[in-house]
Amino acid sequence: MSDFWNPYRTLAASQQRTLGVISVVGVIATWAAIAATGWLSKNQLPSPLAVTEAMAYLGWYDGKSQLALATVWSVGRVAAASLLVMIIGIPLGVVMGASPRMNAIFSPLVDPFRSAPVAALLPIMVMWFGIGEFMKIAFLFVGSIVYLTPLVRDAIRSVPEDYTVSAKDLGATQWECVSRVLVPLAMPRIMDAVIVGVSVSWTYITVAEYVNAQEGLGQLIANARRMSAMDQVFAGIIVIIAVALLTYQGLMWLKRRLYKWEVA
Amino acid sequence: MAAALQEKTTPVAPRGATDPPPLMAAIDIVQDYDQPDGKPLRVLNKVTLHFNRPRINMLLGPSGCGKSTLLRMLGGVRPWNVKTPTSGRVEIDGVLCEGPHPDVVMVFQQYANRPDLTVRENVYYPFTFSEWRSRVTAKEADERVIRILDEVGLADKQKLHPAQLSGGQNQRVALARALVLRPRVLLMDEPFGALDAQTRTAMQGLLVRLHTTHPCLVAFVTHDVTEALLLGDRVIVLSTQPATIIDDIELSAPQPRSQEWLMTADMRAMHERIVSRLRAADGGGNIRVSV
Repeated sequence: MSDFWNPYRTLAASQQRTLGVISVVGVIATWAAIAATGWLSKNQLPSPLAVTEAMAYLGWYDGKSQLALATVWSVGRVAAASLLVMIIGIPLGVVMGASPRMNAIFSPLVDPFRSAPVAALLPIMVMWFGIGEFMKIAFLFVGSIVYLTPLVRDAIRSVPEDYTVSAKDLGATQWECVSRVLVPLAMPRIMDAVIVGVSVSWTYITVAEYVNAQEGLGQLIANARRMSAMDQVFAGIIVIIAVALLTYQGLMWLKRRLYKWEVA
Repeated sequence: MAAALQEKTTPVAPRGATDPPPLMAAIDIVQDYDQPDGKPLRVLNKVTLHFNRPRINMLLGPSGCGKSTLLRMLGGVRPWNVKTPTSGRVEIDGVLCEGPHPDVVMVFQQYANRPDLTVRENVYYPFTFSEWRSRVTAKEADERVIRILDEVGLADKQKLHPAQLSGGQNQRVALARALVLRPRVLLMDEPFGALDAQTRTAMQGLLVRLHTTHPCLVAFVTHDVTEALLLGDRVIVLSTQPATIIDDIELSAPQPRSQEWLMTADMRAMHERIVSRLRAADGGGNIRVSV
């Protein structure tokens, strides 16, 4: 315990897991205890058991799984939006990071939106793109790309100058310095930016699916709320968190695999 | 004092029309850096140097005296945002050199090895750029890489990444990457400065060996008097801020030179002479006078 405040200590995996489990179990226990007192109505705070039952109902009822279907829809939308964000945002961030002129041109179009209330853009999106699939993906795209692009730019800029100076000495052209030096060396940081971008998409999915709710986890939550089925709202939120967490872990695993040299 | 030293410096004799130009020449190099207070700081003051033969030239001076700046200019290795030199010029074969030159390669103190590439890929690295791809076929590049890795003693480390290597091994990679291009001029910026004493001795031996098999003009920056005497066929001593040439010594002793040779009366006298010159010229920076 003497090194409790030692920030550089590495915890054993088992200890880390134990502490994490204790923390989550603690929250659930407190939640269950408060729900059991009856201070709050079932519609204000459903008990953990009620949420589990709701999840089981949504997971399998009458020969179909609403939850699985909704998850597939939401994952599809997040994946489509993230793919577009990567195809456009990564090259944009790279050229912004590699050329101050490019940055001067594109920065006013990207940076202010980082602090803009993206949810407030929804009505505009609806007017422009209607209420269908296109609007939903466009909304996730805008919400996510304004985070990803500046991070990619910073990733490029944080590559030490030594590498490009040395590459120039070895005959690299300016563009080769970008494509063969800056980009490969920035890849782990760019991957971090992608992870942030995907996470941001998951936070906006409920907003995107709120309009014209037909399918998806956002729709599931919105409809449950309309029917005051708070246990189902909780179940939906938990599933979103779980899927987002799984995506995050998967991408981190991929990053560690692809860029072993960075940890080595 | 200045007059007494004048005769020691290489005479810049007027060249006849038929004389070939020097392989590498720095002419009246002046370098100023902008300081935060707006006043320019002069680090190099009218430095003129001629290099003719493919041998080892040591640039010796206190740390921070501008010798690295001079070295970088010689190879056209320029930082992105600073104009170098402020005035004066560098010529290679009598032709003004303003940017990277295909016959000149630099080895940096911090290796500049790519962490994401293996040892082999780090040495092959220059051949991935279009300039060298057009000059050397892939087959020849492969052969060159294999041979040089063998020569620097890294044949069994090809598949490792720089993070898995020691400092000395990393510097071998950097040296191999430079020599694989068969440069006529090799610039070395305190290449062994970050290494421990034993590794440094081993690397100095390796450099001397490689220089006999790859004869090229070496310009080697150091602040270590012993290293300068051990490796140099010529030792150019620079004062500090602004740097000027205060001594220019020819050493004809054959290579490789031993520690015993360094202890001979002549060499100890030479050591003393250099140290006293540096002291007389006053230096804010440090010189290494230990072994």
